[in-house]
Order: sequence, then structure tokens, then C-alpha cells
Amino acid sequence: MIQKKVCMVGVQGTGKTSLVQQFVHSMFSDRYLSTVGVKIDRKALDLDGTPLTIVLWDLAGRDGQEDITTSYLRGAHAILYVADGTRKETCDQLGELRALAREAAGEVPELLALNKIDLTDRWALDKRYEETLAREWDLVRTSAKSGTGVEEAFQRLGRATLATKEARS
Amino acid sequence: MTATATTGARVDAKGLTDIGKKRKANEDHFVVLTLRKAVEVRDSSLADPQVFERLRGPEGWLFVVADGVGGSAGGALASETAVTTLVEFLGQATASFNRIEPDKEHELLEQLEAAVHAAHRKITETYGGGADRGRNAPSGPATTLTMALLVWPRAYIVHVGDSRAFYLRKGQLRQLTRDQTTGEYMVNMGVWTEEQAAAAPVGGTLVSAVGADEMTPAVGLVDLQAGDTLMLCTDGLTRHVNDERITELLGRGTDAAGACRELVDEALAGGGHDNITVIVARMA
Repeated sequence: MIQKKVCMVGVQGTGKTSLVQQFVHSMFSDRYLSTVGVKIDRKALDLDGTPLTIVLWDLAGRDGQEDITTSYLRGAHAILYVADGTRKETCDQLGELRALAREAAGEVPELLALNKIDLTDRWALDKRYEETLAREWDLVRTSAKSGTGVEEAFQRLGRATLATKEARS
Repeated sequence: MTATATTGARVDAKGLTDIGKKRKANEDHFVVLTLRKAVEVRDSSLADPQVFERLRGPEGWLFVVADGVGGSAGGALASETAVTTLVEFLGQATASFNRIEPDKEHELLEQLEAAVHAAHRKITETYGGGADRGRNAPSGPATTLTMALLVWPRAYIVHVGDSRAFYLRKGQLRQLTRDQTTGEYMVNMGVWTEEQAAAAPVGGTLVSAVGADEMTPAVGLVDLQAGDTLMLCTDGLTRHVNDERITELLGRGTDAAGACRELVDEALAGGGHDNITVIVARMA
């Protein structure tokens, strides 16, 4: 069985844990509990006949006091960045987070989940800003609450890990 | 128990258990141990046999607490069986702790989970119970299980039930585990408030336990730093000593044995309604 380590990276409160909960357990909770350290979950996928187990490393989010712990990213096969569309500052920090993560994990497949699209009345990004993000990132709009885009985001990242040179050799 | 790991981290670790004031038996168990692949030269004609020292693997510390449930002697047997089986299983997999490369880390995590499943099987096979028992058969004894494997600086946490793991860093206490109880589940689902969960008679009922019908290990990890304190405990401590007080007591900086004593004494002073078990590991 092929196993791939996928790290979830983003600012605190963007919904990383909720995306994992939705993807792995088909559950959503409004209750917010910040992640301490790393929570690990697994999900087996069948990608066009290729079995793949994604080992999800849900990292504590970056907050005002502490940055992400980059040692957790070593050995990652892919990184799922998560930003909260109702808080523009979580998107503004993506460039810094990407630089930190690339330093630790190298150039691995990455994808941005632009999360909380169900909160339309609180959406903080204008069309132009979203277009800029879409140019810079492989982007999937997600809602951990409704499940929209969640399966697609992880499947797309899973496929990308299988397509890397290391995976083919 | 104090030792300097080959990695340079000095760990002072100790555990303590107490029957409490109300229970007739202590159904908790714990273990603090080190795991190491050792090469010890007994005799040699070589000029420098110490060269083989480099083959000695980094030391792994294992901390486990278990809180048996099931009444009479069943709970104590379940927690004892779980701890024993877990240590035996991991002891046979010592090679895993030799050196953990990032690309091999998932194998270690699988081993840790497999160890918990082995304990679950052992309990259900020995005492009955588990999801596979007959439809009308009574449920057997079960136990919580919270373990931390420390391969400096990383602590791998596997947890089932409501015994907890915390770490204290620079005066801030952080809980590494989430209780697997009805109350926690109902609050997560938005059905109950935290106050309702605390007041509900079934709020503390375990929804996952080793040996029970449902057993779902939660896995996590954290990188520790010198100065951090890792603490594992059963709910006999946390039902009487809140997070603020735990922070205060651990923050005093007494050695691991002293910190265990202070925490247990505090729980006893608070009523000691349940068995109390604590493991404290100080990193220097």
C-alpha cells in the first residue's frame, strides 16, 4: 500500500481540523478547539485503481505568538494550505507560510483550500483578490461544513503525490 | 527515574498512583520505562572498541497510564493487561526506535496503534467483551489508555478514553488529548453546552475504551523543548484539580517525584473520589 504524508498548514482557525474531520469522518462541528502539536489521521483512497493511504498531519495553526513548527513538515509528500475566506489576513500570510514550508519539505505538490465558502455574508475577498490567488495557487474552494470541494481537494493532492518523480520511480 | 538520553536530553520522569478516598480498589496502572537498542562491548582486541558506541540507538521513553472500568476486579485486570500487552508489543519492536527517519515515521505510528489494538484484543479474548461478543453477552472490563513515546524531541501520543496528556511550556499548559466521552461528543455535535455535558449523568461515559465495543485510538505528536514538562494522568486527577491549578503545581519546578506527589495530594484534598494516577516527565 502506498502511503503519503500530507501536511495541513495555515493560520489558526482557518478550518484545517474541520476539513480533516469532514474528509475522514464525514463530520462537522462548529465548536472551535485549537490543535495542539499535530493530530494524525489516515484515509484510504482508490485513485483510478491505485490504492493510496493519505496520512494527514494536521498541524497547529500559526497564531500571533507562535509560528508553525517546520520540523513537522520534514518528509511531507504534499502540503495542503488552508485559508479562511472570511479573514483576508489568513490569505495574506500564505506567501510566508509557503516559504517556510518549502524550506523544510522542499518542492512537493501543494494546493490551497480556500475554506468557509458557506459563509457568504462574511466573505472578505473581492473578485480581483481571488483571481490573484488562483494565479498563484492550485486552488479549491471548500466548505468543511457542507463538504463542498473537500473530497476534490484531497483527491487532487493525492493524485499529485502519485505523479511526482519519486513516486513513479 | 532520571537519565540522560544519548541525544543529550535529560529526562526526569516519575509516576505515582493512589487508590483515592472512596474506592475499594485501585483500578489504575502506569508504567515509565526506557527502550533502547544497546551495543555493549564485553571484550575485544581492538584498539578502540568504543567505536561501537555509535551503534547504540537513541533512547526512547515510554509513559503509559490506564484507568480500568468494569467494577470488582475487572477494571484493574483490564488496565494491567493493557499496559503489559502494550509494553510487550513495543518491546518486540525496539528496532523502530533505533532511528526514526521522516520517511519511516509512519511505520512507528502504525506500530503504536497496533500495540493498542493488541491490548484491545488481549482484553476482549481474555475477559470477553468487545464488539464481537455475543449479542446478549455482558460487556467485559475495559480501560482507558494514554501513552506517550518520547524519542527526543518528539513525543508520539496515542490515546483511548478520558485519561489525558498535557505539556507545560513557559507557564502555559496545553492538553494534547481530547476526552472520548459522551459529553465531549455531544458538545462537539452542538447538542449540549459544556455546562450541560458536565452536569449530565452520562457526560463522562466513555464512547471509546480498550476492551469495549468501540475502540478508536487517537494519534498525535508534539516536539518538546528543554524546560518542558510532559504530564499524563487519569481522570481521578482532573476531576478534582483544574488546569489552572495543574499549571501552578507543575510550574513550581519540583522534581518529577515531587510534582507527582503534589498533584496526587491536591486531588486527595479535593475529595479523592476516584483512583488517581499521574506521570510527570521533566525535560532539561
